[in-house]
Amino acid sequence: MAQTHQPDDPIATLEDVSVTYDDGTSFVLDNVSLHVERGEILGIVGESGSGKSMLASSLLDAIPDPGYLSGSITYQAEEKTIDVLELGQSELRSLRWEEISMVFQGAMSSFNPTMQIRDHFIETIEAHNGGVQAGMDRARQLLSDLYLDPDRVLESYPHELSGGMQQRALIALSLVLDPELLVMDEPTAALDLLMQQSILLLLRELQEKYQLTMIFITHDLALVGALADRLAVMYAFDIVELAPKQQLLSNPSHPYTRALLNSTPNLQAPLAEMRPIEGQSPAPINVPSGCSYNPRCPLATEECRTTDPAMDSPAPEHSVACFYWEKAQWEIELNYATDQPGGDHS
Amino acid sequence: MINYYFQRSARAVLTIWVVITATFGMIRLLPGGPLAQLEAKLLRQGVPAGQVDAMLQTYQNVHPDKPIEVQYIDYVVALIQGDLGTSISRNKPVMTIIADALPWTIFVMVTATFLIFAIAIVWGALMAYREGGAFDLLSSGASIVLSSVPFYVLGIALIIVFGYQLELLPTGYRSTSGIDPESGLLVFILDALDHAYLPILSMVLAGVGLQALAMRGNAIQVLGADYVRVARLRGLSDRRVAVRYVARNAILPMYTGFLTLIGFNLGGSVILEEVFNYNGIGYYMFLGLDNRDYPLMMGIFLIITTALVISVYIADLTYGLIDPRITTGESNETY
Repeated sequence: MAQTHQPDDPIATLEDVSVTYDDGTSFVLDNVSLHVERGEILGIVGESGSGKSMLASSLLDAIPDPGYLSGSITYQAEEKTIDVLELGQSELRSLRWEEISMVFQGAMSSFNPTMQIRDHFIETIEAHNGGVQAGMDRARQLLSDLYLDPDRVLESYPHELSGGMQQRALIALSLVLDPELLVMDEPTAALDLLMQQSILLLLRELQEKYQLTMIFITHDLALVGALADRLAVMYAFDIVELAPKQQLLSNPSHPYTRALLNSTPNLQAPLAEMRPIEGQSPAPINVPSGCSYNPRCPLATEECRTTDPAMDSPAPEHSVACFYWEKAQWEIELNYATDQPGGDHS
Repeated sequence: MINYYFQRSARAVLTIWVVITATFGMIRLLPGGPLAQLEAKLLRQGVPAGQVDAMLQTYQNVHPDKPIEVQYIDYVVALIQGDLGTSISRNKPVMTIIADALPWTIFVMVTATFLIFAIAIVWGALMAYREGGAFDLLSSGASIVLSSVPFYVLGIALIIVFGYQLELLPTGYRSTSGIDPESGLLVFILDALDHAYLPILSMVLAGVGLQALAMRGNAIQVLGADYVRVARLRGLSDRRVAVRYVARNAILPMYTGFLTLIGFNLGGSVILEEVFNYNGIGYYMFLGLDNRDYPLMMGIFLIITTALVISVYIADLTYGLIDPRITTGESNETY
């Protein structure tokens, strides 16, 4: 899908976005810059506590209290550019769900247990002053697209649906106002492998049918590898590497990305060659100075300990925050054959 | 589903039957009870023995000469017909006394319980919305202080302040003597309310704190739930989130507690009505205790138990109607 990108049509642009708690002493998102192309599926991978969910919430200016969000987030609507962080309450209310929508971790807890699914759709449409009749027609269409029986699902209470059905109903709910950008934060985390795969297929279909831009956030590299056009790797509250999927999987350049790939189970790598990453990822209050990965990195030098590496570009559209990405490509061997198409990685 | 209703009904009936049977046994087991005392007294006064026996039998439905199972059946049949025996001290059928007293107790206790919950829900929700703030801290402190003061101590304090010092409200009794429905319905109702303010107030003040803290806890939990966050992001108004999301889900767990508290409060009326000289069933219960008037005590005891069983029964049957998650009721029995 990478070739379908119009490279200079970003739908959302983040510049130096930070989220801080405790009066700025702990960073849970540290100067992230990123642009999202219209129509792409961007996968964001990182381990637990690397700031993925914060990145997702930032796009809707919905950081949990008392977090402080700074930097600049621009959203390119069809005819105007919106500065998300400058919006007032009511403008923000209409941006959310109408333009940028979100599917959270844990569909099971995203519905009000004492309300029918139908009421969730209706109240959402009404809150945005939409026509209920047309909106519900769209809701039914979306539910059918997701292989659910609209009548049955709409009449149900959340607990009457299985986990996979709730997840799909939640995706339908997030799309009911026809948003342009859909942010999904671990949408499949609570599901079994088969359901994860079928949801991925459905997402791909939805993306093509409704020309959606998607940001898919997960800790599961193999999962997002099958779906995404581009992949971003997060480590310690910042993006360390970003590239088209094929490029990232076949030519990973950040030592962390390479180590992450080596620690990910896959069929081409013998179990004996799988490598855990030594050490622990840092907590938000004491991120190491310089490159945040330096305490765990086999290539770290004095420069890494003092200076935070800027983004370098090993290839077009490929950026990596490492001084020694060339060395990393040589010295950190991948335990799977890089000449294999990256898509097989899933 | 049907099976569940049937089970619940059967269990309620069974509980009441056990209480009735226990009452029957207790009357016969109580040593040196009022009958023996009365018998001795009457005999000393020179009443012929046969007449004494006949009198004793009319009180209490006890016929010691009959076989026990016949006595039991007579007793149960009499109960079903509404015959709870005759009060020894008041010399009236127990049923008559209860019929006169029960509406007053129900009025006071049901009103008090309703007020407790209405206030607790609003107060607790406000505390939850302002969790950690000054209002929350002060309110939580006040709740704990209020719930640690027994309602009868509060009652006495209220009588002293409002009854004797300010002379605003009557110090006792359920109505002014001479005023009854015939002297004008409105006059009667206002007079009854005048007498009910202080008992209700003492129940509410002493009971509201605990329930408010419970509501606070529930509401804080719901406020932290994912579905509330998602609802806000979906652009729902704060008002709708507060009513349909927070309030509804936080109140649900309190519903059963509400109904059972009505039942418990009916039983708790004994002390309250004694403090306020309020002629409800609790007052007569105390009178019965004081005079060793077993038929009166037992009759009221049965009524209170039945009221509690019925309130639990209603809670069980209706919970499924207000919480869609409970359709079989298996996971949410009250007792």
